[in-house]
Amino acid sequence: MVEQKLVEDIVREVIKSMYQESAAAPAAAPAPAPGLSPERDYPLAAKRPELVKTPSGKPLTAITLEKVLNSEIGPDDVRITPQTLRMQAEIAEGVGRTQFAQNLRRAAELTAIPDNRILEIYNALRPYRSTKQELLDIAGEMETKYNARINASFVREAAEVYERRNRLKAE
Amino acid sequence: MKRQKRFEVLAARPVNQDGFVVEWPEVGLIAMGSPSDPVPSIKIEQGRVVELDGIPRAKMDFIDQFIADYAIDVKKAEKAMAMDNLAIARMLVDVNVPREEIIQVAGGLTPAKIVAVLNTMNVVEMMMALQKMRARKTPSNQCHITNVNDNPVLIAADAAEAAMRGFDEMETTVAVVRYAPFNALSMLVGGQVGRGGVLIQCALEEATELQLGMRGITAYAETISVYGTENVFVDGDDTPWSKGFLASAYASRGLKMRFTSGTGSEVQMGYAEGKSMLYLEVRCIMVTKGAGVQGLQNGSVSCIGVPAAVPSGIRAVLAENLCTTMMDLEVASSNDQTFTHSDIRRTARTLMQMLPGTDFICSGYGGIPNYDNMFAGSNWDVDDYDDWNIIQRDLQVDGGLKPVSEEAVIAVRNKAARALQAVYRELGFPAITDEEVEAATYAHGSKDMPPRNVVEDLKAAQEMMSRGVTGLDVVKALAKNGFEDLANNVLGLLKQRVSGDYLHTAAILDKEFNVISAVNNRNDYRGPGTGYRISPERWEEIKNISQAVKPSDFDI
Repeated sequence: MVEQKLVEDIVREVIKSMYQESAAAPAAAPAPAPGLSPERDYPLAAKRPELVKTPSGKPLTAITLEKVLNSEIGPDDVRITPQTLRMQAEIAEGVGRTQFAQNLRRAAELTAIPDNRILEIYNALRPYRSTKQELLDIAGEMETKYNARINASFVREAAEVYERRNRLKAE
Repeated sequence: MKRQKRFEVLAARPVNQDGFVVEWPEVGLIAMGSPSDPVPSIKIEQGRVVELDGIPRAKMDFIDQFIADYAIDVKKAEKAMAMDNLAIARMLVDVNVPREEIIQVAGGLTPAKIVAVLNTMNVVEMMMALQKMRARKTPSNQCHITNVNDNPVLIAADAAEAAMRGFDEMETTVAVVRYAPFNALSMLVGGQVGRGGVLIQCALEEATELQLGMRGITAYAETISVYGTENVFVDGDDTPWSKGFLASAYASRGLKMRFTSGTGSEVQMGYAEGKSMLYLEVRCIMVTKGAGVQGLQNGSVSCIGVPAAVPSGIRAVLAENLCTTMMDLEVASSNDQTFTHSDIRRTARTLMQMLPGTDFICSGYGGIPNYDNMFAGSNWDVDDYDDWNIIQRDLQVDGGLKPVSEEAVIAVRNKAARALQAVYRELGFPAITDEEVEAATYAHGSKDMPPRNVVEDLKAAQEMMSRGVTGLDVVKALAKNGFEDLANNVLGLLKQRVSGDYLHTAAILDKEFNVISAVNNRNDYRGPGTGYRISPERWEEIKNISQAVKPSDFDI
């Protein structure tokens, strides 16, 4: 029964810390719909369709076969927005999936980066592809050009680790 | 020596054509419990892990560091690590301990500690645990659709049949790399004929796979491999950071994805560092968790020959599936690559996942004859469809498939082939003849198909990419040629990437394109009478096999 109590303690602590974290979270960009709940709001497409927009601001209901055929809807409309990704991150946090939520928040930043550049950055992060400076430059570009701050620090961290583990391109 | 006749008979049995090897821990040929496996430990200073399983921070390899910083919840770690191995194992098996409680504990464990817990469990206990721990309440199944000639018409027809038989996800790959866009296109069109809402993918080199996804030709990705030692990770041309970035890249385009790993890959690639296969695999699972990916395909996958050759290897494969669920990840539990000549052995291996149910029991089941499987043959294929259905019926277990009528299969195969014919015509690709449509409708495998002009096809496949054909072009082509229902289905798939609901853990789509995931279909198993139960409708589907005689069949 000792274990049972231990588990209860852990659960309590986690719940407590979750409240503290959300209270202490910095007020960044205003959340489109604060406090999304997995039970009430998920799936968004079915339960909160009014919150989901295409990158050009069209509602989800505007994506119809008719509009595709007369080219009112193009490939750029069937893309996810950073706002939607952040809403899904909230849903993920609501079911305790911290790391997954963090991935969705990194993804929200990456929506701003074009497809080809995404592929190039991925290749640059592979082992022995980049010097430390090249990785730091990518981080700088992510931050200044695309406002991708979480990703920038992720790439900076990679540069440090690759240096310590000798996985950088030989200069 | 004069041969004893019984031994001669036994020597000729299929199982004795399989390869077996004694444990050899020094090179990592040991499934579980290598003497070199680290002793569990954790030290946390100022909210940061400074020692992981005996390794101080300065000496951590990049996997250790990634796990320490991203996969372990430092708030839970010290308490969870102080728990007795057996106590955690018993929680896993105890129907009175809910899944959520175990997720909390597991989030604070190190790789060596998880291995120490799993080492105490037998396979029945692991199956009990897996039934409770899988993320999605409803189990499901995935298949492979490929053929040796990359015949696009046949891929479309096979995809249609497989979708109709019940697979919720379908994966293709190529015999010839440059055929990739065509294979993906055939899956997209064919799959939606069998059942609207089936998710499709094309397994390729990482960057190409992402590109097809970005274009809206595929709906998700899976072949994003991670490894358990740093040397093998680098040999695989990646790091946890490059893979973590790739994971976010997929999500940024609204695409579902999972990682892939499996016991045996490190031994096979020659850098197991003397560690047990399970210990190295648990590191992969935790890298996946740390990268924030929703799920993982594991269960040795294409390296199954390695764990299957050593003692307790198939138990280790079950243990890695279980560990994935303990990390609150979707598990696509392998049961794919052929590993044995013995029908008995291949069935026993699969029951470990089929009976408890997983998010995808096979990943995948060959929806084609074994000779057409470009993933090197599956443990299950089309020739086994009726066996699978009857095992479901015998045991009242939901393995994701259902019996289908010959007439219905002929109809969907034909429609898929005709739909692809129309899309090819519309997009200006090399014509698909009526003869090919007819052959694909009635074919068993690629041997039944007339040859195509491969050079022309490859040129067109290349053009498909350089012209920037997208999923929407496919929608238009279908609609213009009288396949409005299919056009709507393909559009329905593309719409998923706008809402992002299917990015969540263990998501699949039903035939109305509703998302079913471990958010709105969370596994709530708590013993008899709880969790997933076969509905009366589903049971009708499973039990009504055409082979069963009815009293009305008798003329009395």
